[in-house]
Amino acid sequence: MKGNDKLTAVEQEISAPVSSSEMDQVKSSVISARHLTKKFGDEVAVQDISFDVPRASIFGFIGPSGSGKTTTVRLLTGVYKPTDGEVMVMDRNPAKFSHNERALLGYMPQLFVLYPNLTVWENLNFAASLYGMGLFRGKRLKNALRFVELYEHRVKLARNISGGMLRRLSLAATLVHDPQLLFLDEPTAGIDPVLRHKFWDHFRELKNQGRTIFITTQYVSEADNCDLVGVQNNGKLLLVDTPKGIRHHAYGGDIVDFHTTEPFNFQAEALLRSLPFVLSKTFRTGDNSMRIIVDQASTATPELMGWAHQQNINVKTVEEYMPPFEDVFVELVRPQVSHG
Amino acid sequence: MGNFFRSIIRASSFFRKEIFEILRQPRLVTTLVLGPFLILFIFGIGYRDQSRNLRTLFVVLPNSAIAAQDIQQYGQNMSSLFTYAGVTGDLNEALDRLHRGQVDLIIVEPVDVISTIKNNQQATFTFYHHEIDPVQVSYINYLGWLYVGEVNQQVLLAFAIQGQKDAVTLHASLQEAHQNVSAMRQAVQSGDQALAHQNHQKLAGNVDTVSLAAGTSLGLLDSLQQTKSTNGGNTDPVQAVLADLRQNTSQLANNTDTKDERLARLDKTDQDITTLDSKLTEFQSIKPSIIVSPFRSETKSEANVQPTLLDFFVPAVLALLLQHVAVTFAALSIVRERNVGTMELFTVSPLTAAEALFGKYISYMLFGGVIAAILSALLVFILHVPMLGNWWYFALVIAAVLFTSMGIGFAISIVSQTDSQAVQYSMIILLASVFFSGFIMGLEKLWQPVKVISWMLPTTYGTVLLRDIALRGVSPNWWLLGSLFAIGLALMLISWRLMRHLIATSL
Repeated sequence: MKGNDKLTAVEQEISAPVSSSEMDQVKSSVISARHLTKKFGDEVAVQDISFDVPRASIFGFIGPSGSGKTTTVRLLTGVYKPTDGEVMVMDRNPAKFSHNERALLGYMPQLFVLYPNLTVWENLNFAASLYGMGLFRGKRLKNALRFVELYEHRVKLARNISGGMLRRLSLAATLVHDPQLLFLDEPTAGIDPVLRHKFWDHFRELKNQGRTIFITTQYVSEADNCDLVGVQNNGKLLLVDTPKGIRHHAYGGDIVDFHTTEPFNFQAEALLRSLPFVLSKTFRTGDNSMRIIVDQASTATPELMGWAHQQNINVKTVEEYMPPFEDVFVELVRPQVSHG
Repeated sequence: MGNFFRSIIRASSFFRKEIFEILRQPRLVTTLVLGPFLILFIFGIGYRDQSRNLRTLFVVLPNSAIAAQDIQQYGQNMSSLFTYAGVTGDLNEALDRLHRGQVDLIIVEPVDVISTIKNNQQATFTFYHHEIDPVQVSYINYLGWLYVGEVNQQVLLAFAIQGQKDAVTLHASLQEAHQNVSAMRQAVQSGDQALAHQNHQKLAGNVDTVSLAAGTSLGLLDSLQQTKSTNGGNTDPVQAVLADLRQNTSQLANNTDTKDERLARLDKTDQDITTLDSKLTEFQSIKPSIIVSPFRSETKSEANVQPTLLDFFVPAVLALLLQHVAVTFAALSIVRERNVGTMELFTVSPLTAAEALFGKYISYMLFGGVIAAILSALLVFILHVPMLGNWWYFALVIAAVLFTSMGIGFAISIVSQTDSQAVQYSMIILLASVFFSGFIMGLEKLWQPVKVISWMLPTTYGTVLLRDIALRGVSPNWWLLGSLFAIGLALMLISWRLMRHLIATSL
């Protein structure tokens, strides 16, 4: 129940009225969504979500399949009109973008939407032409294909290449015109880990160049690559925070692993739980180790060392534990699932 | 780089894409060119411009006035239309043969012809057939009309031949009347009333005989002369001369007339007899077949070329084919973009509806134009279909047909949800074109309000305009060409509006 209360508080925080400091943030935001809702008939795909995406950042949108990630992307790109709420992208309603403003966007849909009867090169050339790229665009096409490691396959028909290659082609088509704001709907789906790593390196490079990237992914572990992460489930945005902040929210604080040279006795464990900086539960991870949730790992670590010294407990290591994002995600959506 | 230049680049992306996609299907291109050419080529070889020859069985029932040998004669005279399959007296047996497909037609000769005619009614030939094709039924009705016309002509011919035989006797009567007039004139001059009366009696007898016989013999000639006089001829009708002759002869019996008056009447009578005699000679000199059928028709074409049926159909086939290709390609074009999902990409991109449509229009126009050029060259230089007019005009009409057809196709494409729906709509347009464009039957056979459909179809305009240019060698009717372009322009605007909506709300 404690976890539920915590999530409700997070939701309230997200949908709360915008304060003056938040207004400053909104002004520097490239994307600003407020109480955004999209319904298809009676079915609610996206329910009352609000968030801001700062300029020159990577905003990751994670959630299970069917959680409303693609619908949100379509709302942000103007493909869908919201049923309720409002969205501003580059200070404009995306449905009313001018052609020049649209030329600043790069959009990679979830599915391959180019032409199976055209070659890899012709498809990319088509995408480049759609954005009005000049006649001397050959070098850019070549670089884009080299980046996604498709240059050697440029004369193959799109219908004859694998699903992963199609995703890479889609990404190349999205990046080829050098957009300022990128909407990437699951760009790494079906891509091998090595290339995924390369993609994320490139996304960070784009961010460093001042581009803003809104990216959805089912690989929740990829959230660690983002500056901000939005966690979406059943159409609701559970929270938006930094990856570290998300972990903090998920477990109610930072996690510290406490290893000793001798086994813990029950008396020491009870004393440890009663310490003021130790929050909620403690877990035994072995005879000589405990996992503790603390308010702040950085301040809790020296205090733990001091307490162990007072109690004549020989400490082997005290270190902050970063749980995998899969675990964090499960922790976050679990209360929702039990609610459902 | 200016916005205009970027627009051109965006439109060109569609142009290139469509052309590449078409070129990736070489079989499709080959089929579109060679298919119609081969069909027309085989049609040209296989088509025989001959009337259908019907196997005809004649039925002569008891009391029929026409002899079997006469029937055979009539049948042989019309051997191009009928194949004589025999004569029978049993109608049921004939009908049985008709139902078994052994003969195509049964002609039942009329019975009690004389009594029917005496009752002031026409005797009837009955034609039995087993056709369900309305065109064939019309053909048999036409054959019936031809056959009865032939029979009626044979009857008239017999009548004319008999009249010419009778004319020999009439000559003798007129000669005798002439001698009696001379004798009466001498008697009147000498004052011998008794002799004059005696000659007058003989003359009156001659005039009665001539009136009866010449009435039938010269009747045909008289009607012929009356027909000629309506066309500017200036000849006294035979009946008027006969009436004058009878009146003068009757008044010669009147003793109250003076001598000079009687002599003058005798001169007039003699003149009428001479007129009748010369007409009789004229009647005898004319062939009986000319007397009963004095007129014939002769058709002379002012056209520069006399096209064959294949030549006549080629422009219509070309117009129909190009319309169908353009409608189908355009109809599938946008619905496929929607199904593939590219519309979503277009919505987010700076692409406008006008740019997408422009690129597609140009690519399909080029593709249709190439097909038309190759097909036209094959038809003109290999099948030797006439091309009397200007090739630029020809190309202009082709462009108009393609442009307007694409408008129809794009409108279909935008309102269709699936490929099969688009294909079905295209097939309906094709079917409508076959029936309403004058492809299989002339537009003049359509009810006026239905012609509105005809003039909404590019094939109708294409057929008329291409025939004018290729087969008459004249300039196109600019009103028709302008109307076709105007329809195309209206459809383009509708397509543009729909496409704008579609790109704005791609999903």
